[in-house]
Amino acid sequence: MTDAHYFFPPASAYPLNRCLFGLKSDNAFRARYLADAQAAMDEVGVPADARAALRDFDRDRLVALGAHPYLVFMAKLRVGMDTQPAAFEYF
Amino acid sequence: MPLVAAVAVPHTPQLLVRPDTEDRDLVLRVHAAYARVKQRLTDARVEAICLVGGDHIEGFFLNAVPAFAVYTGAKVSGQFGRYAYSFDVHEPLARAIVEQGIEREFDLCYSQDVRLDYAFYVPLHFTTPDRSIPIVPLYVNVYLPPQPTPRRCYAWGTALRAILDARPERVALMASGGLSHYPGTDRYASPDFDWDRQLLASLAEGRGAETARLTGEELDKAGNVELRTWITVLGAVGDARADVVCYEPSWHHGNAVVTWPVASR
Repeated sequence: MTDAHYFFPPASAYPLNRCLFGLKSDNAFRARYLADAQAAMDEVGVPADARAALRDFDRDRLVALGAHPYLVFMAKLRVGMDTQPAAFEYF
Repeated sequence: MPLVAAVAVPHTPQLLVRPDTEDRDLVLRVHAAYARVKQRLTDARVEAICLVGGDHIEGFFLNAVPAFAVYTGAKVSGQFGRYAYSFDVHEPLARAIVEQGIEREFDLCYSQDVRLDYAFYVPLHFTTPDRSIPIVPLYVNVYLPPQPTPRRCYAWGTALRAILDARPERVALMASGGLSHYPGTDRYASPDFDWDRQLLASLAEGRGAETARLTGEELDKAGNVELRTWITVLGAVGDARADVVCYEPSWHHGNAVVTWPVASR
């Protein structure tokens, strides 16, 4: 199932997935990232070749690097909820 | 007291926090379907809600990826933007499920320390008759391959039913997930609604057991990796005919709510 939408997470992508997880689920990490993305990426060891893609939430590039597609999706949404809270209706 | 209610609901966070990409009327129609579930749980006088949900890499990250897990702590909490949730856990029921599940040879993981995922609190936000009703979060791995097979999910649901039917509490079983959607992938904007409609038609005819014969590859292809949570509940309700309360396809998600009659076995 090599072309599955959701694939086995390669160990090489752990730091990238760890960063996306932090953006998704860790309010303090997300705040640090929004204040200083490079320092936050240093903190979890995101490799140099993933940094531009992460900053732009370039899904195709991130997924090609082994990022979990769902983590990319929700990290972007959670950053949006913090940076543009008025863009949402809250039930 | 046997199982007193069995339902399946979606949990997409845009139902709770709506960006302007989402059709407001559609969201409100799904809320109306949630309200019918809430009424059903109220009428059934449920004393505990067992939710079968797929963790969205929230409680469990790559530190541990259990195929099936049971939350056995005293309380469980989660947070999403401005929303913060905390629910009591029905400890005796959670413990019985993990102990008897292991006895039945399901090698379950349990935890007393994971954050609650929105697969659990979005449905509870809209459907629990009272937020003081204790819950039991039951996890099925849906997003981190290799996931459990549909056949194994169905078998676990069948075992769960036997465990729940022997309990003194009035228990509701709620699957949280689906239907077709592909978050984070290049198919996000084109869910497989035909696949969903065929599935719902088969469930309405009481052919839920057929889902146990699906493959993981078929679920991934159809955008239905989360159907494993439904299949688990289908293992508990057997051939009962589903009442399809709603099917609301949005531009990225097949929102479905179904309920099943659960007569005592």
